[in-house]
Amino acid sequence: MAAKKSEVLQGTLDLMILKTLHALGPQHGFGIARRIEQISRDVLQLNEGTVYTSLMRLLQQRWIAAEWGTSENNRRAKFYSITASGEKQLAVETENWERISDVVGRVLRVKEER
Amino acid sequence: MEYAWTSRLRAFADRMGGLFGRRKRDSEFDEEMQGHLQLLADHFVEQGMSRKEAGAAARRQFGNTTRLKEERRELRTLVAVEDFGRDLSYALRSLGRSRAFAAVAVATLGLGIGASTAIFSVIDNVLLEPFPYKDAKRMVFPRIHDAARGEEGDRQGYTSNEYLEFAAQNQVFDGMTAASEVLVLYKHGEGVEMLDGADVTPGTFEFFGMPALYGRALQPTDYQAGAPSVFVFRYKTWMERFNGDRNLVNTTFVLNGTTRTLVGIMPPRFSWYGADVYLPKTPVAAAATASAGLPANWFVLGRLKPGISRAQAAADLTVIANRLAKISPRDFPIHFQMSVRALGDTVVGRFESTLYTILAAVGLLLLIGCANVANLMLARATSREQEFALRAVLGAGRARLMRVLLAESLVLAIGGAAVGVLVAWGGLKLIVAAMPQDFIPSESVIELNGPVLGFALVVAVLTALISGLAPALQAGRRDLNDPVRDSGKGVIGGRRSGRMRDAFVVIEVAVSLTLLIGAGLLMRSFVALREVQLGLQADHVLQTVLPLPEDRYQTAAQVRRFFEPLLARVKALPGVVEAAQSSSLPPDGGMDSTLEISGKAHDEQWHALLQQVSEGYFRVLRIPLQSGRTFSEAEINDARKVVVVNEKFVSTYLRGTEPIGQRVKLSALETLADPVQDPWFEIIGVVPDVANQGLQGQIAPEAWVPYTVSGSGAQALLVRSQQTPMALMDEVRHAVTATDPGVALAFPIALETRISQRLYAGPRFAFLLMTIFGGLGLILVTVGVYSVLAYATARKTHEIGIRMALGAGRGEVLRLVIRTGLRLVMAGIAVGLIASLLLGRIMEPELSRGVKSYDPATLVGMTLLLAVVGVLACWIPARKAARVDPMVALRYE
Repeated sequence: MAAKKSEVLQGTLDLMILKTLHALGPQHGFGIARRIEQISRDVLQLNEGTVYTSLMRLLQQRWIAAEWGTSENNRRAKFYSITASGEKQLAVETENWERISDVVGRVLRVKEER
Repeated sequence: MEYAWTSRLRAFADRMGGLFGRRKRDSEFDEEMQGHLQLLADHFVEQGMSRKEAGAAARRQFGNTTRLKEERRELRTLVAVEDFGRDLSYALRSLGRSRAFAAVAVATLGLGIGASTAIFSVIDNVLLEPFPYKDAKRMVFPRIHDAARGEEGDRQGYTSNEYLEFAAQNQVFDGMTAASEVLVLYKHGEGVEMLDGADVTPGTFEFFGMPALYGRALQPTDYQAGAPSVFVFRYKTWMERFNGDRNLVNTTFVLNGTTRTLVGIMPPRFSWYGADVYLPKTPVAAAATASAGLPANWFVLGRLKPGISRAQAAADLTVIANRLAKISPRDFPIHFQMSVRALGDTVVGRFESTLYTILAAVGLLLLIGCANVANLMLARATSREQEFALRAVLGAGRARLMRVLLAESLVLAIGGAAVGVLVAWGGLKLIVAAMPQDFIPSESVIELNGPVLGFALVVAVLTALISGLAPALQAGRRDLNDPVRDSGKGVIGGRRSGRMRDAFVVIEVAVSLTLLIGAGLLMRSFVALREVQLGLQADHVLQTVLPLPEDRYQTAAQVRRFFEPLLARVKALPGVVEAAQSSSLPPDGGMDSTLEISGKAHDEQWHALLQQVSEGYFRVLRIPLQSGRTFSEAEINDARKVVVVNEKFVSTYLRGTEPIGQRVKLSALETLADPVQDPWFEIIGVVPDVANQGLQGQIAPEAWVPYTVSGSGAQALLVRSQQTPMALMDEVRHAVTATDPGVALAFPIALETRISQRLYAGPRFAFLLMTIFGGLGLILVTVGVYSVLAYATARKTHEIGIRMALGAGRGEVLRLVIRTGLRLVMAGIAVGLIASLLLGRIMEPELSRGVKSYDPATLVGMTLLLAVVGVLACWIPARKAARVDPMVALRYE
């Protein structure tokens, strides 16, 4: 059970990052963390470092690409952008997620009705 | 997110890449994290924190950087590979601490792999795939089997007419060729040299499907009437006798008085019929005789049509042979059938079983080796139970423990494999050097066999791995606390693996005894062979073949004109006791002849070996006389039709009759180029049996006639001297040249040396290798028994201490330990004896006459040898145990 939960969480973060890059264009790790914080501040307690683990996983799948650039404070930073196959994956996963959350939601409602 | 297998593959590829350039990536990531922390701190400062607070808050929100790096590392690289590298270096260090163990394990594995690979390579190259010819597997040679006689009575030489009939009428071959041996005298500036020649029939080189290396092979036009005389060289002869000079192609040589052009040199592996030179010769039905005036003797080779079995071929040839027998009944046995043999049978014959015996021996050796390694690994692993339990308690998973053991086994296996390759390579060189050349096809090139080496490596490596892992599996199952509490003391420890080790020792001892008994039997057999009564004295005798140029020596008178003065010259040499002419050399007894005896009727064909000799023959070889007399000088000079026979002749054909004065017809003499008319001979003497079909063969009836009756037949000279026979070589050569400068000495050698070379070589090879393997087996077993006992004793040091503290004497301790070990050795001996008796049958064909596979002396001797070695292997650890100081032992941890 425990393993499954973390899997969902891990997958969720990956999906959120993909969506962020899709919506905002190229971002560095800090920008991604800020965006996720903005949207989910009260819900998700996130170690920002885990963003990088997630980014690494996505890089390995060639769903995102990385490039060195310059950040707002004129420092060297790595900018991540979504690739074509990443866009495809995002579409698939979004649909997947909606279906699953729909099913989970219905199951939970059934439980409540009892 | 669910990742499909393709994405897993992508991740894997990325991870593989991650094994490299690690440092650069790590520093880049550090930079990225620092940048993030900086930005985060700036962000907090904007929200109103002090710079110091902001730094701390940023680190808090970012999380544990070390853990993050660790996660990344696991994601990025193949952790198992990195860890395995560590395991390997750990294994190397740990093996370095127990060098003796590592050395023994590696050496054992190496010997097993090496020896078995070397022997199997020999077998593969000599027996399984010796010939380079196209479709060699379908090549067979026919034999005529006389139903009334054993295999040694088979005929495999055919007249020209027979060959032509077989070639024309058979329906089973898609190609046929024949070769006939011919001695070739090669005349050059300095004198005459002798070469082994082969007359080959048209189509021979097309049959074998091998083109020449330089120039060309013989072709159809060379056989046409009036075509220029040509020949081709075998590669080896050309290299050794003519320095591989390529300019010789298309030059002329004088061979047997004919000027012939060398048209080609064959590739290295072409050596059909073992000849030096190949001469084109078209068999002609009318020509009855060939080289040296003897009946034409073609060795026939046929290539079976695809799908035709040997039995079918034999049946087809039998029909043809029956037709031929009706026309010339004298040339065929009364009841016979044809058989066909594989090409490989031409040379290997008896040697085949020798090689397989040795292969069996080497297999046993590999078995001992593997048992030994398994044993060592088990003992070592068991003694480390505590270490493993401790590691397990400290949190190492079972997989992790297995990996440590696996790494060690792998190191040992790789070391063993390396040694094995070396042993195989060196061993093969030794074997090739020791191998009797006459017993293997001259076409075969003996080299290391890759697949076999691979197989032996896999077997040995698996042994190391499995025996290394077994204890890890056990360790994993055990209650972790047990061994920690037990701390290796006491007597109960490792009962389960102990039984396994005991079983291995028993097996090892049993297999080793089987090997030793095998080696012992071959040794006995070899000694017996040397003691075989030849019936003659081979020492101090020089022998040489004297091929006489056929253009000048055809009639009896011509041959006599050469030998009479030659024998007189040689006899006059200082130190020469006696000299004689002979048509064959012991222990071979001349050509086969059918015979009739006056007044004796018989249904089956009677045969005897027929030899032409001069009057000194029996004196040179010190063959005594049984009754009657041998030839007088006058009888030789007058070519009187008198004959001396051996005892076997009398007991076979003249039982109960007075042999002297009987008249015998020796039919073969009629078929010579210089035939003997009306070949009825009177028996004047009987000599005891002399080996005449090799050392091991049955003695056949034999008849000796004066060499002066016919000019046909091979010519050889035998000289008995007072000093070493080879010292006479030069003087004998001068005598020959003085008699006729056109005659060369062929194969001049001491008779004793030749007998030992040609006839003992095979058995000596078998005996030598078996002794080496037996010895190696014995060493391995000693190590095996010793290591197990030493280990068991070391484990019991505590118990021994208690026993001694309670009053046990040193002698008692000694006996206790030795008893433990000897029980295993004795069990092994019992099993080994039974196995030897069962396996003995396999050895039977390898043994000389008179040596039985259950030879009591060998069984007792080898059992004692093994028992003594076993006691020794037990005694060393036992003595160590008896020296234990009880106080030290009790404190011993």
